[in-house]
Amino acid sequence: MELKICHMYPDVLNLYGDRGNVMCMTRRLQWRGIEASVTRLPIGSSPSLAGFDLVFIGGGQDFEQQVLLADLHRGKDREIKAAIEDGVPFLTICGGYQMLGSYYETYDGQRCDFIGALDLYTVGAVQRMIGNYSFQCEASAGSSVVVGFENHSGKTWLGSGVEPLGKVLSGFGNNSQDGTEGAHYKNVFGTYSHGPLLPKNPAFCDHLLLTALERKYGKAELAPLDDSAELLAHDEMCRRLTKG
Amino acid sequence: MKLKAIFAIILCKLLRLLSRLLHRGGTAMPGRIALKLCPELLSIVSAGVKTVAITGTNGKTTSARMVEQAFLEQGKSYFANRSGANLISGITTEFVMNSSLTGKCRKEYAVIECDEAAARRVFPQLKPQVVVVTNLFRDQLDRYGEVTHTLENIRVAMEGVPEARLCLNADCSLTASLAGDLPNEVVWFGIEQGAAPSRPKPEISDATHCIRCKAEYEYDYISYGHLGGFRCPRCGYRRHRADYAVTEILRQGADSSDLVMDIRGGKHMVTVNLPAMYNIYNAIGAVAAVTEMGLGADAAIAALADFRCGFGRMERFALGKGGARMMLVKNPAGCNQVIEFLENVKEKFLLVVCLNDRGADGTDISWIWDADFEGLGQLSGYLEQVIVSGDRAADMAVRLKYAGIDPAHIRIERSYEQLVQWIEGQEKPVFIMPTYTAMLELRQVVIAHCGGDDFWK
Repeated sequence: MELKICHMYPDVLNLYGDRGNVMCMTRRLQWRGIEASVTRLPIGSSPSLAGFDLVFIGGGQDFEQQVLLADLHRGKDREIKAAIEDGVPFLTICGGYQMLGSYYETYDGQRCDFIGALDLYTVGAVQRMIGNYSFQCEASAGSSVVVGFENHSGKTWLGSGVEPLGKVLSGFGNNSQDGTEGAHYKNVFGTYSHGPLLPKNPAFCDHLLLTALERKYGKAELAPLDDSAELLAHDEMCRRLTKG
Repeated sequence: MKLKAIFAIILCKLLRLLSRLLHRGGTAMPGRIALKLCPELLSIVSAGVKTVAITGTNGKTTSARMVEQAFLEQGKSYFANRSGANLISGITTEFVMNSSLTGKCRKEYAVIECDEAAARRVFPQLKPQVVVVTNLFRDQLDRYGEVTHTLENIRVAMEGVPEARLCLNADCSLTASLAGDLPNEVVWFGIEQGAAPSRPKPEISDATHCIRCKAEYEYDYISYGHLGGFRCPRCGYRRHRADYAVTEILRQGADSSDLVMDIRGGKHMVTVNLPAMYNIYNAIGAVAAVTEMGLGADAAIAALADFRCGFGRMERFALGKGGARMMLVKNPAGCNQVIEFLENVKEKFLLVVCLNDRGADGTDISWIWDADFEGLGQLSGYLEQVIVSGDRAADMAVRLKYAGIDPAHIRIERSYEQLVQWIEGQEKPVFIMPTYTAMLELRQVVIAHCGGDDFWK
């Protein structure tokens, strides 16, 4: 078995450890004897997503946003939408997550159109939402408790066409008001948990990998791994967050 | 002289005395309280002092130590903010402690390291003669925000001191962009093409696109990270020729480097008493600062060969048979330089990594995934064991596991006392990579075992 992973915009959407997710998926496949290849699609690359089994998009700085939007509108937006409708699994984080929505409206009312692949939109807030946080994934996303770090000023609101990825246990999540975190649509998983989300959430990582393998091969199983190091990091943060 | 200022000075001195009596550092608190009483206090106590200020993301402390060594050796009347008290509060405390009760500074010169976010408050009061910007890298995101915000902070800071001479890293496209926006006289330092073999473009760069027009940069050579011979193919923004240039790197050893520097047209052989590429940048920046302050290039060069590294920055301790070296890490760019140094150790060694996530470290530890710990994963012949410690030891253990280090060789040790005792029992050299607050704590325990200076000394 083999998974072909696409890392979109690693040149600009790489803020704070996002590549840790790609490393994590690759290692956890290889440890099980499953081949993994990673293709980087930087700005200016051919837009085609054909043949990829899993797509990762990270978060970025404001500085490169214009460059990014121009490139998206040169065909990658259509490719992304087609792949999503086709059931290709996506993991998208922070800026990459917002970008799949309809638009971003800054605090002072300037609107920036995004690609509209998911029924959600984001509005800028004055106060940044920063800190360690945790959420419980919905059953459809594997039910695991995810711990991560969020750092965003945008508040994201979900439309009726998407489900939340999970419920906030501690922290802000999508907008600090409705208790939702992230979005789940078909096989797209969007979240504010930036940086290295997957390494200390092995259950969530495996859910993502299994989704990709099952889509490609019909039926698949993942052999258990020794996750004691990962779970120690996970559980320590859970304990810290509950202590408050 | 207002009465208010005199009262603030007396209060500041008393608070400092009190905190020293209580065996605390008292580096920032007295100044913070005094500034509340008299917000323009720093401008009063720094008036008439010839000051060099050093800011930027990485290398502030080491550069300042190099500069300070030249002032020391030349017998100048000077003082420096030595202990990382680099916000307006700490800098004010230092000036007050070197002033009379009426605010007259007793020293002719000051060597001041300044936090890059604090510069906009500090510089307009401090009025430095020379400002050095070492470099700009992405740093603790939760604390500084995006790197372009830091750049903007420094630009605003410089607007308050148009008469200061500005020493800029010519190889850093972010830092160099300050020149176009400011009226200040600019002096450039950098490493020339061919001085060292060019690196491949890193997987993660902090400045891929032109700061002026957002086209992708092209490079003639890369010395590390995004530093090197950059040029923008669209708008023509490019590296400026350096007035202070490293033209050849003759030898890079485990303890020092030998270089050839071109200092305003004169060729000089230089030994830097510290290893690693990033210290070569610190050295050439320090030479620019010392020379522009009027002490002469020879004074700067002599200082580089003599100075003692400070305070967790490649600092050596007589601990264990093979000795220990403490190498502070704060962000991916600096961490990668330390990892590269370890890749060149070429003898069996042991490693300690201490990861904290307190305010001064940055509460977000995601950056450890941007640092190339994979380099350590390929050192299985040399790297025998890794001990991880600190508040986020478990996260560090996961990072090292995914970097390819056998989990059987990774051990978590929570107690610094136990950790130092373990180091004492080792035959081979031990390298310690702590984040800032972990360095402060661990260094205290190390000093209790083998001696060294308190942090404010």
